[in-house]
Amino acid sequence: MLTAVKNQIKVALLSTKYGLMREMTNKVTFIMDVTFMILNNASFIIQWIILYSLKDDIGGYTFKQVLLLWGIAASTYGFAHFSFKKAFSISDTINNGKLDSYLVQPKNVLISCITSDIQVSAIGDILYGYIMLLIYGITIQNFILFSLLSISGGLIVVSIAVILGSLSFWIGKSDSIADTGNDLMVKFATYPDGIFKGITKILLFTLIPVGITTYMPVWIMTEFNITYMSIVLASSAFFIFTAFSIFNRGLKRYSSSNLMISKI
Amino acid sequence: MRKYLYIYKSEVISSLSYVLNIVIGIFSYLLLIFIFFNLWNYIYSDSSDTINGYTIGDMIWYISITEILWSVAGGRKFCRKICDDVRSGNITYNINKPYSYIGYLLSSHLGEVTIKFIIYFISAIIVGFIFVGSFPEITALSIIGTIISMILAIIINSLFIIFIGLVSFYIEDANPLYWLYSKFLLVVGTLFPIEIFPEGIQGFLKLSPIYVITYGPAKLFVDFSVEKFLNIIIAQIIYIGISFGLCKILYKKGVRKLNVNGG
Amino acid sequence: MAVIEAKGLKKEFKVKVKEKGIKGSLKSILRPKYKIVKAVNGIDFNVEEGEIIAFIGPNGAGKSTTIKMLTGILYPSSGEMKVLDIDPTKNRKKLAYKIGTVFGQKEQLWMHLTPYDNFKFFSAIYDIPEKEAEERIENFIKVFELEKFVNTPVRNLSLGQRIRAEIVASLIHEPKVLFLDEPTIGLDPIVKDNIRKLIKKMNKELNTTILLTSHDVSDIEKLCKRVIIINNGEIVLDDSMQNLKYNYLNKKILELRLKDKINFEKEEGIDVIKEKGTNLKLELDTRIKSISDVLKLIDPENIIDINISNTPLEEIISDIYKEERK
Repeated sequence: MLTAVKNQIKVALLSTKYGLMREMTNKVTFIMDVTFMILNNASFIIQWIILYSLKDDIGGYTFKQVLLLWGIAASTYGFAHFSFKKAFSISDTINNGKLDSYLVQPKNVLISCITSDIQVSAIGDILYGYIMLLIYGITIQNFILFSLLSISGGLIVVSIAVILGSLSFWIGKSDSIADTGNDLMVKFATYPDGIFKGITKILLFTLIPVGITTYMPVWIMTEFNITYMSIVLASSAFFIFTAFSIFNRGLKRYSSSNLMISKI
Repeated sequence: MRKYLYIYKSEVISSLSYVLNIVIGIFSYLLLIFIFFNLWNYIYSDSSDTINGYTIGDMIWYISITEILWSVAGGRKFCRKICDDVRSGNITYNINKPYSYIGYLLSSHLGEVTIKFIIYFISAIIVGFIFVGSFPEITALSIIGTIISMILAIIINSLFIIFIGLVSFYIEDANPLYWLYSKFLLVVGTLFPIEIFPEGIQGFLKLSPIYVITYGPAKLFVDFSVEKFLNIIIAQIIYIGISFGLCKILYKKGVRKLNVNGG
Repeated sequence: MAVIEAKGLKKEFKVKVKEKGIKGSLKSILRPKYKIVKAVNGIDFNVEEGEIIAFIGPNGAGKSTTIKMLTGILYPSSGEMKVLDIDPTKNRKKLAYKIGTVFGQKEQLWMHLTPYDNFKFFSAIYDIPEKEAEERIENFIKVFELEKFVNTPVRNLSLGQRIRAEIVASLIHEPKVLFLDEPTIGLDPIVKDNIRKLIKKMNKELNTTILLTSHDVSDIEKLCKRVIIINNGEIVLDDSMQNLKYNYLNKKILELRLKDKINFEKEEGIDVIKEKGTNLKLELDTRIKSISDVLKLIDPENIIDINISNTPLEEIISDIYKEERK
């Protein structure tokens, strides 16, 4: 079991390394992609400077906290898209019958599939996240906490993408549902939770768990709280588990189904 | 002119088969409006408050209109297509054709966004009303004025995208340039009215494309006056003239450069 | 020992039927109609260790579906199968270590990497220790003569080289059975021949059992001792290549454009199918007359154009059906 996990990780890392090597063949494009993503995120600072010129507190956040919120959102999203790019297009992979090549390998189909490519611009997101942390005030504890929260949040983001994409096993084309869901996560993640009320707030901590991937990490970073930390980690485990079970159930259906998903 | 009308019409018809995608895409638009609705609700402590002359209702209507213009542009794909055409040398096939390449691009792009524009406009009106609960003071004249100015805004935006795309005659990849432009348009031009910015840069913003591409039409919808209408329309027409001319010049020079270098 | 056993293997697909026009599209959304396609309809066969066996059939005959079932990608609707004594449906991963697969021209390789790096990647997938992997790769390079391009990025290789690399990559874990789905589709004759040699070599050197599919009989004439012809999901013929050749591949089609007319009516082993002025279409029975025999009958000066082809697979299949009915 342990060696199996080790071997699986080795293959995933090798995929990432090879993907990175491919992207680096054109150095100019590579650096441009990364830099522009950093600038992209930075451009929204203007928005917040304007908003904070109107009011000192927005949704209970100070300006610095908003920067931290952006930092966490960016590195969470960046980690997810850099390491698991294919999780966000899993619907296409299913519909084009491209799972077959993973099915004949003696590895976990889902992991092999979603780690098979990287997204370069996501490196810019990750870097931006740490730049924001630097501005917010960096300490060793902060750094570790920030990294840990980005990874656990990123895994939730990936899990949700997998769950939504896996709907394709049942309903054929689900890419627009998955895209919409992923967009929902990103948009909410970049605004302070205090501006939302009522049902929206409940949704943000359940169905659209931005609250767990981004808001709680900001709270934890502002003032460490073991309860919130446990909620984040437990949710992460829960979403990963759910993603695997739904994907695997779909995969069984894919194999045994008499619906023609791929071409004969 | 007839051939451009024909190109326009064919694109409108072919875009009809993507109606479902457009409808799904609206979700993203609504989401942003929803978030800003919450945001402004938090910032305005009272609904009778005004910030730099805007009530909360004005603010939401403002972003509803500008966000249509920003979403409908479809610039990334359009710019990439032009860049690819230039880089691959495909553009040379257009030289011998009996139409202007700029005219072709403009009419086909406008055709592509027409249906999208109509669908977005209608849903914006409905959703805006649901959020705000009332319309700004509107008359038939102000509605027509707004729509005319929105159409002109889309034309200017398309010409700017064409111009940026054609820059790839000179640089390796013009996509990042488009990206900078669209970010500027979004962050500075879409989310807030110009009046919200520090006074020092308001003058600059009123001369920038933001004034004619996003601010103008939205301002007309929120706070119409004939004087403003004339101001904005004239500015828009000047912008169209200049940007069209610039595209023509760039295209001509670019093609000559391509011919010298043999593509 | 039978390496592959299949008994009453069936796979049915439900396919949405769409009527024409907008009305039809709407109808198919609201109340979809399905029709059942029997992709594989009850096939039985065994493959012995060390065999090279070919699955031949027209497009859509059920070849790929069969391979997909044998490799565990698809579960059969009914029937039983065992590959290396493993049930692919139940033990896909365990089986994966022991079999290799190449699906036509679907790229499994990283295009920007060299074949060598690709081989290393596949060794990682199959948990082969670093050192052992390197030894194996060195050996493969020698045996399959990859020296020339093993260090060139795959995207810079010719199509033939790429497919060779693709096949060798699927051998890195020394599979007992190799499934090749249309390995020669779309290749020119020289490359095809190269691939055939490679397949033969790995069968000989590594004693790999090979099951390959093709829609062209001539493709595998020299390669396989045994052939299974499949059509509409059913096995039409399971016989030795020799018998197939003798009984069904004994005909050639000869199309001739001549200056002066020649009369072949009385020649034994030649059938005139079509005659239009000096244009002739002949069918020869190669058991009686070889192509060179026929060509001897014609003065080279008299030929404007000549075209020699095999009987199409569809015709062979219908011949087999006719034979059965007798």
